[in-house]
Amino acid sequence: MKAAMPDVVLAICVIAGALVYLYADASLPLMRIGDPLGPKAFPALVGCGLLISALLLLYEAWQKHRTATPTSHRRIDLRQIGILCAMVVWTAIYYSAFEPVGYIISTLVFLFGLLSFFHRGHLRTNLAVAVGFTACVDLLFSQGLGVPLPTGLLPI
Amino acid sequence: MDSLQGILHGLSVAMQPSHLLYTLIGTFIGTMISHLPGIGPSAGIALLIPVTFGMDPATALMMLAGIYYGCMYGGAVTAILLNTPGDAAAVMTVLDGYPLARKGRAASTLAIAAVSSFIAGTMGVTALAFVAVPLAAIALHFGPTEYFGLIFFALSTVSALTGDSLAKGLLATFLGLLLATIGIDLQSGVPRFTMGFVELQDRVNFLVVVVGLFAIAEVSRMVEGTLEGTLHTVKVQGKLWFTREEWRRARPAIFRGSAVGFFCGAAPGLGGTIAAMLSYILEKKVSKHPEQFGHGAIEGVAAPEAATNADTCGAFVHLLALGVPGSGATAVIMGAFIMYGIQPGPMLFNTHPDLVWGLIASMYIGNAMLLVLNLPLVGVLARILYVPPGILLCIILGIASAGVYSFNYDSFDLFMALGFGVLGYAFRKLDIPKAPLLFGLILGHTLEQSFRQAMTISNGDVTVFLRSPIAAGLLLCAAVSIIMSAWAKRKPREALGLAKEQSAEG
Repeated sequence: MKAAMPDVVLAICVIAGALVYLYADASLPLMRIGDPLGPKAFPALVGCGLLISALLLLYEAWQKHRTATPTSHRRIDLRQIGILCAMVVWTAIYYSAFEPVGYIISTLVFLFGLLSFFHRGHLRTNLAVAVGFTACVDLLFSQGLGVPLPTGLLPI
Repeated sequence: MDSLQGILHGLSVAMQPSHLLYTLIGTFIGTMISHLPGIGPSAGIALLIPVTFGMDPATALMMLAGIYYGCMYGGAVTAILLNTPGDAAAVMTVLDGYPLARKGRAASTLAIAAVSSFIAGTMGVTALAFVAVPLAAIALHFGPTEYFGLIFFALSTVSALTGDSLAKGLLATFLGLLLATIGIDLQSGVPRFTMGFVELQDRVNFLVVVVGLFAIAEVSRMVEGTLEGTLHTVKVQGKLWFTREEWRRARPAIFRGSAVGFFCGAAPGLGGTIAAMLSYILEKKVSKHPEQFGHGAIEGVAAPEAATNADTCGAFVHLLALGVPGSGATAVIMGAFIMYGIQPGPMLFNTHPDLVWGLIASMYIGNAMLLVLNLPLVGVLARILYVPPGILLCIILGIASAGVYSFNYDSFDLFMALGFGVLGYAFRKLDIPKAPLLFGLILGHTLEQSFRQAMTISNGDVTVFLRSPIAAGLLLCAAVSIIMSAWAKRKPREALGLAKEQSAEG
């Protein structure tokens, strides 16, 4: 059953999500101004479609379970997942600082932090890439395209 | 304007210096993007859309289209040198391209891939020009009922044919449709599923979804590659041309691959990956040396490369003639069309002839540019492969962030993109195809409007969809594609079960 377990969990999550969506749809006000269906009908069909695909997924998982071979199990690399989670958190911190701190400072720190991990032992290269990239993108957007990026703490 | 006149008129538009420059920039960027493993054309186009702000739509679309076919063109480089397809469609090129490179034939294999792509691209653009006009003329007679049938058919084929699981394809499509229902309903003015976020009232921004789902999520693949150290590159060695024997073997494969590719592109949902697979299987079937396939057969590079490039042109047929994208990347280009205030579809040939014919003609020019870029400069361009992936992934993340922010000047979009990045990672881990979600998101609004208009016209009578022969035919085709897909996807399991039984008996 292990091989089909992610699909079963996915199907259960989709069913739960579809039910919440259908509940939210049912809570919408009924307005049929020149429209026999109103704003609720199409989302209701989409919600039903999600439920049907989740049930089909459960059927496929059951079929997979019947034909699964012992070698089809995937290895989960916890270190890799940990690194990816840390990267998501680091990116979320960067996005939080994007407007208040400004594009240049936040991007410089964000990139230098990432490069220090993924391109270890090349301090000068990493610093040059972080500074060069940030400056080039800022110039491209603000000067070349006329799309100013947030200045934040820098008075420019 | 007939097709031949259109092409000539388009050439006069595409030959303008600014259009030539941006076509060159697009093809160059596309080629560079294709050299980044994991970053496909959808993500590449989405990343570059913010750069086109302020340009005139024709110039911008020529550049974006250039990125698309440039990506498809250059996908072979990483497949041949890195054993990793630059985009999903180049997956078949890996099978014979990398073994050929390991045998010291990297340069000649790259040359065959470039020439195959050029021939297929040129044939594909010609077919596009001659097919799109009559198709658009037919589509002019479509009403909301027929449009509902058409979009339903496109969504069902993309769900049924993308990925290994019908359920997951359907799931992705319905998730895309769900996202399309978020925002203020234009007919009643009711805000739907916005969860109190004012930013969601104006619907979910497709650019945010594409950058998150494709670019940010694909960074995770590079992270995995960096951590596992699985990216090993073969250097370009030898004379950058092929032998007479290689050309003799590749030539028929290129023509067969081009035909297969164009038909796959013209059928909504099939896409470049299936085109490449079908052409590869076809070549293996007709080859006198099928045992060489997988060990370095030049036909195994020529046919899929031709198919993926002809498929690119086929995918534009729907977009330009019907207003329905034929692939994930054309769905992003359709989003760009809408962003510039142009509705792709049958009226496009009448309302924007300069744009549509200029775009088609720019593909001829772009193909020639790609041949020049990819033959003598392949060694130089391939140097991007030697940039440490640790640096590349940081740069991609930086470009994605600046691009997303510049769209609305709102950090809410950045968090949305990050959320879709996480969703894209989950999709990859769970083998859920991403293209159907994009189709659902892009077409969901038109599908709902067509559905509601048809129901309004018929006073709520559902049989309106069966009374129109075109709509009924399209809905029947949709049902057939779903049933056929369910049937076809049973076979691998049956084969697996049979293999198990045989091994047990053995």
